[in-house]
Amino acid sequence: MTLAVFFGCAFIAFGPAFALFVFTVAKDPLRVIILIAGAFFWLLSLLLSSLVWFIAVKASNSQDPSLPRGLLIFGVFFSVLLQEVFRFAYYRLLRKATEGLAAISDDASSAISVRQMAYVAGLGFGVMRGAFSMINILSDSLGPGTVGIFGDSQYYFITAALMTLALTLLHTFWGVLFFEGCEKSSWWVIAVVVSLHLLVAGLSLLNPLYEGSLPPVYCITLLMGIWAFFSSGGSLQNLSALCTRRKVEAESS
Amino acid sequence: MENLISINCVQLLITALFYTCISCSSVEQKIYVELNKTAPCVRLLNATHQIGCQSSISGDTGVVHVLESESDLDWILSAGPHPPYMVIMETAFFNRSVMLSMKNSSRVAGVAVIISKAGLAEHFSPHTTCPNQNTGVYSAGSEFANCNGTVWNPLGNGLSYEDFTFPVFALKDENQTQVIRKCYEDHNLRVNGSAPQYPLCAMQLFSHMHAVTDTVTCMRRTDLQNKFSINPEILCDPLSDYNVWTSIRPLNNSARGHAENESVVIAAVRLDGRSFFWEEAPAAEGTVSAIVTLLAAIHALYPVIQEAPPLRNIFFTFFQGEAFDYIGSSRMVFDMERNQFVMDLDNVHSMLEIGQVGLRGGRDVWIHSDPVSRRNSSMEKQVSEMIKDVNSSAAGLNINLQEPSVSQPLPPSSFQRFLRVRPIPGLVLTDHEKAFNNRYYESMYDDAENLNVSYPPNLTPDEQLVYPTDAAKSLAEVATLVARSLYTQAGGEQNNLSNITADATMVSQLLYGFLVQKNNSWFRSLLPPEITKKGGSSILSSGPPQFYIGLGPRLQSPVHSVTLFVQYILANLTGNVTNLTESQCQNPKELSGENKDLYSYFWVSGPSSGNSSADPLCVRASVRLSKAVSPAFELLQYGSSDYSTWTESRWKSIRARIFLVASRELEMLTLGVGVAVLLLSLLVTYFISSKAELLFSSARETPTTTY
Amino acid sequence: MNLERIPNEEKLSLCRRYYLGGFAFLPFLWLVNILWFFKEAFLKPAYTEQPQIKSYVKKSALGLLLWVAVLTTWITVFQHFRAQWGEVGDYLSFTIPLGTA
Repeated sequence: MTLAVFFGCAFIAFGPAFALFVFTVAKDPLRVIILIAGAFFWLLSLLLSSLVWFIAVKASNSQDPSLPRGLLIFGVFFSVLLQEVFRFAYYRLLRKATEGLAAISDDASSAISVRQMAYVAGLGFGVMRGAFSMINILSDSLGPGTVGIFGDSQYYFITAALMTLALTLLHTFWGVLFFEGCEKSSWWVIAVVVSLHLLVAGLSLLNPLYEGSLPPVYCITLLMGIWAFFSSGGSLQNLSALCTRRKVEAESS
Repeated sequence: MENLISINCVQLLITALFYTCISCSSVEQKIYVELNKTAPCVRLLNATHQIGCQSSISGDTGVVHVLESESDLDWILSAGPHPPYMVIMETAFFNRSVMLSMKNSSRVAGVAVIISKAGLAEHFSPHTTCPNQNTGVYSAGSEFANCNGTVWNPLGNGLSYEDFTFPVFALKDENQTQVIRKCYEDHNLRVNGSAPQYPLCAMQLFSHMHAVTDTVTCMRRTDLQNKFSINPEILCDPLSDYNVWTSIRPLNNSARGHAENESVVIAAVRLDGRSFFWEEAPAAEGTVSAIVTLLAAIHALYPVIQEAPPLRNIFFTFFQGEAFDYIGSSRMVFDMERNQFVMDLDNVHSMLEIGQVGLRGGRDVWIHSDPVSRRNSSMEKQVSEMIKDVNSSAAGLNINLQEPSVSQPLPPSSFQRFLRVRPIPGLVLTDHEKAFNNRYYESMYDDAENLNVSYPPNLTPDEQLVYPTDAAKSLAEVATLVARSLYTQAGGEQNNLSNITADATMVSQLLYGFLVQKNNSWFRSLLPPEITKKGGSSILSSGPPQFYIGLGPRLQSPVHSVTLFVQYILANLTGNVTNLTESQCQNPKELSGENKDLYSYFWVSGPSSGNSSADPLCVRASVRLSKAVSPAFELLQYGSSDYSTWTESRWKSIRARIFLVASRELEMLTLGVGVAVLLLSLLVTYFISSKAELLFSSARETPTTTY
Repeated sequence: MNLERIPNEEKLSLCRRYYLGGFAFLPFLWLVNILWFFKEAFLKPAYTEQPQIKSYVKKSALGLLLWVAVLTTWITVFQHFRAQWGEVGDYLSFTIPLGTA
């Protein structure tokens, strides 16, 4: 009956990404292309960092017991920086391709804005990131066993799924903010995004102490969400307008 | 050049990707503890039945419960709230009543037996009470059928011949047993009689067997698959290996049928044993005692034979697969009848077989003979003559020879297969009158300890090898008796008898090699270099060899390791060292003066002295192998009632692992949270995307973003 | 092929061909016939060839039903009794599941 855990974790980890895809991306082929290409760029960054990791592990065959940990920390931070570099590269590519993309879309009115591109590209990064960190765990969640024989928390699967959920959303928000920063040449935004990414990656080094990493990551996600909302044109006025309009609608009906 | 670089790059990338994948399997390591030192019980089939154990194709999982008392049994079979249970038991509980109550319960997922000497029962034999009852000479209809009169193995509980629908494994490693115990105590222990809380410790056993019902069915299906299937799959294989034989005067191996001017005394023992678990058959008292006795007797006989050869030839044979309805002896007799062997039954003068002769402190040796053939007066005369010869050979030995009553049938023995075809004068020497003295017959406890082979502490392996234990001394006496009897029986001069004495050191070495450590310096010096070189072969792994016959095609060598050992020991005991080179030794056909029809040539490592490595040498001996495949498979009579029809099922994987299982509440909670997250996100996203225009309307760009 | 774009005579001959083809132990052709021509036979406004198409579709349905009934019965009987039949059961099987009687 560990099928329940499998589906539970799959829904938690990929439910929001799936919903976003269905309602905001799937209808427009251009967005689908950007999403897939974003995922591909993230994969490229991972490939490169795994290559570096591979070389580093091969190169350092000393017997120092603290070395694996040090190597891991180096690997994580290097990989984060590489991901952000590839995000920037993807931004440059999309920027260059805008005219081309506009040309292939059916009518000029559906041309995609940079903000939309940023959101879709971020989602692409997040989906791939989530898939990579979750697939193996999902396949093991099929059972028959569960984590814990070595004294680990038995909530491993659900926390891993929640972590993946947060990171998928975070990558989406970071995508929006990063591209915004690039557009406006406000480098501090980019710096904040990169440093927060580093922070989240650093928090994951606290595992298996999930209590230590989950709440801060969710706080950061929430803050990023709010920031991304405002930076992409949302405002309190709009929110309240929405609310009142709903109220009016409710009263009128 | 550039191509080369790019290819290298691609390779590097692929390895890098691969590495990522390997390192991510660590979740599995967090969940499962693989138990790799286990022995399964596997399914065997004969013409009418299947015996042994099997799991479902994806393994059987159950909550671990350690069976320590009667109340545990009740908990497992009725009271416990978490069925099915995986029962871990000490050997004390591994008996017929417990196992059958589990067999009849649907609440047992499998059984793991902790093999340890602690708490060992007074006796344990999973074999039947009447071994090989249907394929001996006293088959149905005979007055002695089904051990009528003498039950040879009254302690046998028949567990090995039960068919279990769940897997049964043996846990051989103390450390892994501790891991399981700890897991059980941490998670599954009852607190004041109430059920333990989740997460619980569970175990999964994989031993899915491909063959079912009986040999007829599985061979038919195998043949069908071979005929029609694109991807034929063999379901079961006949138990098979090789008999080893040699004779004091070489027999022409290329000749078939009756050998002119040969009258042969056959000296026979069996080579194999079995137990409940697969490839866990130490067979110390059951088989090794006889093998060692005959080998030591051969060693004692050889110098005298060179000086004063007896009138008749002596034919020494080691039958393989005798535990499974006399595979080896039935095949040799079958080949003799069909003129497919170097001699036929007319060449056989008489036969002397050595059964279980562990002695274990006693000094009685019983001379068994067949009451049915002795009713014929000429046969009676010859048998009495033989008994007289044996008695006269015992003079001066510390052995008390006795005869059971004339009306007592033969114990289970290869000799019975010869008697089935025609009356031949013959005797079987054992240390028991009626029931076996062996309290652990065909079980995993019939080991060195059961044969009283033990060494004083602080001996190095090389000292242990030659240490004359009491068992070795008494077996040497029996070996002397056997050697002298054979010499007399073959018509040798009486006044040479005193020169025939078995060497107790030789017996010690043999016992050490077959019961304690096969990887010893003596065995290494006898075996071919490709086996003895480091990492060369798993045949010389640490510990004693196992005596379960197994299947024909083997991974490590073409023959069973015990067959190989006996073959090479015989070659070294009876052969001559030649000055042939390695290539000549392996292919002596072209050489003049060498005869491949009379002799086999063995390239052996040779003794190593001190630190210097051994010099391999070529040994010429008339030691031969002959097939031990049941005639039933030659004749394609898979339902045969005359011949052994035992087959072993095939399987894909045999493994065991322990892990924790989560409670249903936690699983349902996970699913619930998952569904809630999915629905909520669908709802919220739909709402936001439909109101996107409004939410992000103040954006400076005209087309709206969705956030 | 889009049925909307072909003349009625051709529809009839197509339907007829599928119907006859089904007799060559090809019940799937009948299934295709039913699915394909159901609208033409029963839902479209009447035209000259419609009664014939209707009868072909009906006969196809009857034949298919017969096939389904026969196959279901045989499969059930076979699965249930294969082990009991022993030798015959093995000879009738193309693949035999491992480890089951």
